[in-house]
Amino acid sequence: MSAARGEHEQLLSGPLVNGLPSFVAAAHELKSPLALVRQLSLMLESGDLSDVEQKRMLRQISLTSERALRLTSDLTKSARLSDALFTLEPINPQQLCEDIVRELTPLFTAHDRDVKLVPHKHPLLLVANRDLLRRIIMNFSDNALHYAEGDATVEIKIGSLQSGKIIRLSVRDYGPALPSDTFKVLKNRLTHAPVPIHARPQSSGLGLFIASQFADVMNGKIGVTKHRDGATFYIDLQASSQLSLL
Amino acid sequence: MSMPTVLIVEDDKWLAEQHERVLNKAGYETVVALHALAAIEAIDDVHPDVIILDVLLIGNTAFALLHELQSYSDTGNIPVVLCTNLASELLIDDLKPYGVRQILDKTTMVPSDLVASVQSILHED
Repeated sequence: MSAARGEHEQLLSGPLVNGLPSFVAAAHELKSPLALVRQLSLMLESGDLSDVEQKRMLRQISLTSERALRLTSDLTKSARLSDALFTLEPINPQQLCEDIVRELTPLFTAHDRDVKLVPHKHPLLLVANRDLLRRIIMNFSDNALHYAEGDATVEIKIGSLQSGKIIRLSVRDYGPALPSDTFKVLKNRLTHAPVPIHARPQSSGLGLFIASQFADVMNGKIGVTKHRDGATFYIDLQASSQLSLL
Repeated sequence: MSMPTVLIVEDDKWLAEQHERVLNKAGYETVVALHALAAIEAIDDVHPDVIILDVLLIGNTAFALLHELQSYSDTGNIPVVLCTNLASELLIDDLKPYGVRQILDKTTMVPSDLVASVQSILHED
């Protein structure tokens, strides 16, 4: 299969039972940030704003654009998954998550919110592709920011399961409770097409769909745990045996 | 004389802030609710003259809120402007019975459209 045809099929995958074609989901998810950027730009053009207002609006434009660009970049990466080789290597999840927290802090601060890392008490190593894993955690964190209610801190947590054979990276959010169908969809590994999340209607589910694809490439799986006041999205990955050799 | 109060129901905090900025500059009082439940509380508190309502809200959508408004005589008459990315998929005639007077398309509107919309509704009344 040619690369072009592969990408085409992947972008057009669906609509299946409840799914949206990826390009429709992408268009839907990009509408909101683009509409905001446009409104802010038009307002800036009109003048009659204080320096403080102008700076705040310019900052919002930058951060909103970065968020939209992350989605387009993930989508491109997702469309090329079948044609590219992704090196899997031992990764220190703590270091990776610290980098993500550092990168996301300006965005969270601009929304008057906090993000923090809850580290594991012992050092861990997992097997993953650094770029893909980073994108998954960024995606979960971005959703947690977008759907957070109140001023609760979003937590990125590192844990281990099955006597340390599996490493779980999770992002706890405090958004609307998820319906059980979301969990079922995730259990089916989101292999076909993005599925809208009804309690979170701005979301087409595209981010989760892409995260699921990235997880597959790394022999991992994503999932969600429901809470009364939100959800924890997680990815489980194989632990690296290198740590036990040290 | 106090200025008319506009309730902005919008789950994107920065867009809600932008709507507030535009309406405040035009002299309107504004209150923001980030979701439908907060909107119901705000309606009870401030009795807005106009509601600017996003459709895809976190939790209950705008349609649940519109139904709720129509359930009570003191809220059923509050004029509503839908401000949404889904404008092209909605028909004003279908929504008039729910108090919707106008639909603004977030993707094509300019900031002054918000003011013009509120002004025209208040003048109608």
